[in-house]
Amino acid sequence: MSSGCRGFVCCLISPPSFITSLLPLKYHFLPGGGACFRERGGGGGGTMSTMFADTLLIVFISVCTALLAEGITWVLVYRTDKYKRLKAEVEKQSKKLEKKKETITESAGRQQKKKIERQEEKLKNNNRDLSMVRMKSMFAIGFCFTALMGMFNSIFDGRVVAKLPFIPLSYIQGLSHRNLLGEDYTDCSFIFLYILCTMSIRQNIQKMLGLAPSRAATKQAGGFLGPPPQAGKFS
Amino acid sequence: MSGARRREEPPHAQQHALANGGGAGPRGSVWGKALRSDSAWHDKDEFLDVIYWFRQIIAIILGVIWGVVPLKGFVGIAIFCLINAGVLYLYFSSFQQIDEEEYGGTWELTKEGFMTSFALFLVVWIIFYTAIHYD
Repeated sequence: MSSGCRGFVCCLISPPSFITSLLPLKYHFLPGGGACFRERGGGGGGTMSTMFADTLLIVFISVCTALLAEGITWVLVYRTDKYKRLKAEVEKQSKKLEKKKETITESAGRQQKKKIERQEEKLKNNNRDLSMVRMKSMFAIGFCFTALMGMFNSIFDGRVVAKLPFIPLSYIQGLSHRNLLGEDYTDCSFIFLYILCTMSIRQNIQKMLGLAPSRAATKQAGGFLGPPPQAGKFS
Repeated sequence: MSGARRREEPPHAQQHALANGGGAGPRGSVWGKALRSDSAWHDKDEFLDVIYWFRQIIAIILGVIWGVVPLKGFVGIAIFCLINAGVLYLYFSSFQQIDEEEYGGTWELTKEGFMTSFALFLVVWIIFYTAIHYD
């Protein structure tokens, strides 16, 4: 069975064995063009180092886990009527409240201010209900990812997966140089690269798919470090 | 700075967009507005999305350049931050002539999508640096 077929079959049977089946292989360029994975020690052609193959594999894993997380959330949360209704309500109320706050003046009556307070309270309640609905998927994702991270950590344990073009700050070195031998802090461990990939890829995927909450809703709910990326589809 | 003389979409462009079945129309018009100076942005979220995606594009371009050159160390990170913030500042203040107060101030516009673009920049920089200089 060719290595490509082996990888495909392994992927169907067990994703972890698909990953481990790729790791010992080297990526070879064939004389007539094209490429394939071969066992280490195989001759012929130029070779991509294992380290760079690990780098690309981690980016690929990050994309897959981001899509998996969004998929789980879609199945458990996004497609439910309750979530759609709550989200629409929150966005409508947020925009209405923002507009009202912009037009309110210093001399606005107590009636108007009380009305705004009531609307804010209503919005806060809806936001809380929305968060409760999302909690379901958060547990499922947390459980899946704990298992996945345990697996990936053991697969990439002690492996230098990339070279950093900078030396991280000392308190980040615990993450970037985790379980790596030696004192070269430009060696990058799996977990650091994975976290960076997830931070960049997952939010962009959410934004591209239009699955993140709106800025107005997040502002009213109180975002962490400011409003995160928004649901705006680029229309 | 007021938006009194905002450039509106020309009618023929809107009709053309509709005639195309609207498939590429709305996106085309947003890109068109983004690349034209002093455009009218009635939907604030639309403009903030433009800022967000421009930041991601700048992060990818700078990550590739920094990785190929290579530019190393915190100097690379500092220059990235300056260019990212500076280019977008020039874009929204000079090119689009936006009233920053409408969007909550310069800081709100500056931090829109910044952390995501920073992470993306680091990933691209690391990938190209590893591929070209350690492969």
